Amino acid sequence: MKLRTTVSALALTAAMAFGSNAAQAWSLEEAAKPYEGTTIDVVFLLRPGYEAAEEMLKDFTERTGINVNLIKHPYENALGEQVRDFISGGDLDVALVDLVWIGNFAENGWMVPIEEFTSNPDLADPDLDLEDFFPVTLDAFGTWDGTVYGLPFDNYSGLMYYNKCMLEDAGFDGPPETWEALKDEYGPALTKDGKYAYALQSKRNETQSADSFARMLWPFGGSFLDAEFRSNLNSEESQTGLKFRQDLMQYMPQGIVAYDHAETVNALAQGDVAIITEWSGFASSLKDPNTSAVADCIEVAAEPSGPAGRKPALGGFSLAVASQADDDEKAAAWLMIQYLTSKANAEKYLDLGGVSARQSVYEDESVRDKFFFADALVESWQEGVPEFRPRFAEWPEITEIVQEWGTKMMLGEVTTEEGAEEIGTRMEAVLDDAGYYDGEKPLAQ
Amino acid sequence: MSVETATGTAATSAPATAHRTAQRERRLWVQILLIALVILFCIFPFYWMVTTSLKTQIVALQSPPAWIFDATTANYTEVLFADGVGYTLMNSLIVAVCTTILAVGLGCPAAYALARFEFRGKKDLWFWFITNRMVSPVVLALPFFLIVRMLGLLDTHIVLILIYLTFNLPIVIWICTDQFRSIPRDLDEAALLEGASQWRIFRSVCLPLAMPGVAVSSIFSFIFSWNELMFALVLTRTYAKTAPAMAVSFMEGYNLPYGKIMATSTLIVIPVIIFALIASKQLVRGLTMGAVK
Amino acid sequence: MSQSVKSPSMPGRVSRATLFGFLGPAVITLALIGIVPLAFAVWTSMRDYNLTKLARQKFIGFENYVTVLNDGAFWDAMGRTFTLLAIALPMQLIFGLGIALLLHKPGLGFFKTIARLSLVVPMATTYAVVGLLGQVMFNLKYGVVNQLLGFLGLGPFDWLGDPNLAFVTVIFWDVWQWTPFCALVLLAGLTTVPPEIEEAARLETKSWLTILRHVQLPFLVPGLTALLILRTADTLKLFDMVFTMTRGGPGAATEFIALLIQRVGFRAFDQGLASAQAVILLIITIVLSRLYISFFYREVHS
Repeated sequence: MKLRTTVSALALTAAMAFGSNAAQAWSLEEAAKPYEGTTIDVVFLLRPGYEAAEEMLKDFTERTGINVNLIKHPYENALGEQVRDFISGGDLDVALVDLVWIGNFAENGWMVPIEEFTSNPDLADPDLDLEDFFPVTLDAFGTWDGTVYGLPFDNYSGLMYYNKCMLEDAGFDGPPETWEALKDEYGPALTKDGKYAYALQSKRNETQSADSFARMLWPFGGSFLDAEFRSNLNSEESQTGLKFRQDLMQYMPQGIVAYDHAETVNALAQGDVAIITEWSGFASSLKDPNTSAVADCIEVAAEPSGPAGRKPALGGFSLAVASQADDDEKAAAWLMIQYLTSKANAEKYLDLGGVSARQSVYEDESVRDKFFFADALVESWQEGVPEFRPRFAEWPEITEIVQEWGTKMMLGEVTTEEGAEEIGTRMEAVLDDAGYYDGEKPLAQ
Repeated sequence: MSVETATGTAATSAPATAHRTAQRERRLWVQILLIALVILFCIFPFYWMVTTSLKTQIVALQSPPAWIFDATTANYTEVLFADGVGYTLMNSLIVAVCTTILAVGLGCPAAYALARFEFRGKKDLWFWFITNRMVSPVVLALPFFLIVRMLGLLDTHIVLILIYLTFNLPIVIWICTDQFRSIPRDLDEAALLEGASQWRIFRSVCLPLAMPGVAVSSIFSFIFSWNELMFALVLTRTYAKTAPAMAVSFMEGYNLPYGKIMATSTLIVIPVIIFALIASKQLVRGLTMGAVK
Repeated sequence: MSQSVKSPSMPGRVSRATLFGFLGPAVITLALIGIVPLAFAVWTSMRDYNLTKLARQKFIGFENYVTVLNDGAFWDAMGRTFTLLAIALPMQLIFGLGIALLLHKPGLGFFKTIARLSLVVPMATTYAVVGLLGQVMFNLKYGVVNQLLGFLGLGPFDWLGDPNLAFVTVIFWDVWQWTPFCALVLLAGLTTVPPEIEEAARLETKSWLTILRHVQLPFLVPGLTALLILRTADTLKLFDMVFTMTRGGPGAATEFIALLIQRVGFRAFDQGLASAQAVILLIITIVLSRLYISFFYREVHS
């Protein structure tokens, strides 16, 4: 552990040593030989991490002869597209799994556990090293009910981005440490002259449930469900969090319920808002003078903590081999997934605009210097909650309920208690239907 | 202003006529003003779309919005050459043209039969045709998906072409039935007496006279297919992806490249407008919807 | 319409073969493409059919229908849809008629041609694009609409973030897009009025309202009926524009019936329930169209 700086040098030797034990040195080219000419289909999103991967796949195809057909979709369509493909035995060979889809995909048997490949010395990279992934990312993005299906690929943590210049002008020499400080001190001081202290993206889609609703639940000790899988939204802690969100709205721009990521990031980038809590992936565009009018002022920190701890927003995607693929495609898909998420390629992935979940890459001083968000990211991933949003198969139904009533709460159409009641009743009906209450299904989230 | 001068000069000669001329002129100006308003109302969003497509992201998100700015064509080069919008426009064109030809080819004879022949259940048949237009695509998208997948035709043009018939055929039949009805019967009765077959009467006598209706229903078929989104989203992926599906795919909540979205939108809208403008003379003549001349 | 023609030759009577020759291809095509998926939808509507839980799908009879009929969200969405129809359609018809009358008057030829051409633009604009454009133009901060209203000393309004204003925005775009269509159909209707009748009427009265009511209106009835049917059906199907603009929000302010069905069927994946909703929607649409036709189309079609 203390040998960090020499790790990269040693890695090579280690790989050689492993290799010689296992008959011959493992190499991607050798492993891919039988699958040359295979084409694999995978759904990609239109986000920076995927552009980075697309760039890397050129090298992959050149070295392996495996072609990758990318089907690009915006996030909101990606789940539907994959579900339809899987139920009809379509052509997708890789599943792109958002952490909230994993229970769904696993229960339907659409993904192959990685064990099938890691146990095959011809396919498994000896340097795979699952322990090297931040545990919370592997647990949340890739694992369901104790089985690992996918490797963390496009990884996010919620971070706090702030405009240092605005904070300094108001007499603060650092960002808020706690949510209370944000509301009680930074809020009043920074909300003036048409500028606002904070913006919380709350548009009625996954943004409302993941970025807005859940973000206020956890730091205050709240949660969606209690241990018996009953709604926990009317608990004192959950209500404190939801009420806090209502209070905080006075320091947010008007019309916050129409803000998606783009509007929120833009509000900070145009200097209209002092603080936002957004995904790690936005770091580069906020620091880029071409897309940000206040690039020099932007700094980043871990999200504020609440009474129950930091509990930052957690999100991200893993890639898993799809069960419907034939054997060649499965092997080829595995090699691609392994390549994209490997230790060796982690820095390249970062350089191209992705965010790697490999711990080893952030141990390198030069990497931590090059990527100004690295420290905050590493800190956040120490404290993430895997069930930040429940990951079971029923989430797609439940998120729709949360989105509708969550925005209604913010608009003041219902009180937080009424809204929580509505969500609770509907959520429990969905869970009841799914068989959680009569013991048909294990209480896994 | 000219209203005043008109009143002034006219008042000296004959007050009564002058008054009337002045009134007429005032009315004319009101008319011009109203028409200008209509034009502005119709065109302004289009204008804004085109100008936004010429803005960089920072300018597009500027507050207050900029009316004068350094125009850039970067969005167009990017969507056309890097993102392949040109290819999707081609797909849209193939699908829209084919489905329009099919809809007109199948719809006109049917419309003629509905307008001219007597048979039992005619009204119900007409109504059944129209009903197809009313089915919400949300209902049919999944069944279509499963059937098409079974046939191995996912992501092909032919599927969209056929499916678009479900809402284009009704509109063709509707408009054309009304057009055929408005053609005086004596014409084909005369031809019938001369021994012409029904098919000949349809082709050589009635169809030419019903051209405005055929033209209008073609325009609508084209517009409806060109603009369709839901089926295109569900049934295509890359090979047959249409332009509207492409425009929406830029709409990742993560990042909204307004310039690119509007550039794509402009590219989508312009061909339809051109097509519709060319045929706009027919538009009014063909839309009589069954009013008998 | 042609019952009156009772000549021995019976021009309307043709052989079955001829009839089939004309009608067969269209009927068969539409039946094959249209009926099979619809039958499938009816079948799924009677089943517990969730795409992510296909393992436990089963026949449940009319349970989905009962759920829909008792579902507040469904009727709320229905209510919103009909509210939209009730507000937008009259506006489209009145503005459309106004524009048609304006363009029907003689004179100002070239100017009117331009106007007629510009009417084509809204109609030809892709619905999904209209929604995207709505996001740009009605944005609270960088939207041009608030800027223009600001010149008049109004606003700024939170068009897309306020539930009522979001609804107004949807109405605006629906009116923008479909008023020209109404205008063109009605203009076409006006051209069918025989000029001699119109002129005679003009000699008798100066009131354009009287002329409209007694001379022109009868010729406009078929067009109006067609518009009623088409606009009703299209409003009940309205999806693309709202989806790209507000996605049904904020809250549920713009969740119209097609958005609700899409949400249930394609986002929560409950295709059984979504199909039941869609079938009910279809029945409502058909009943309404029947009503329209029997009320207004009678003279023309009997």
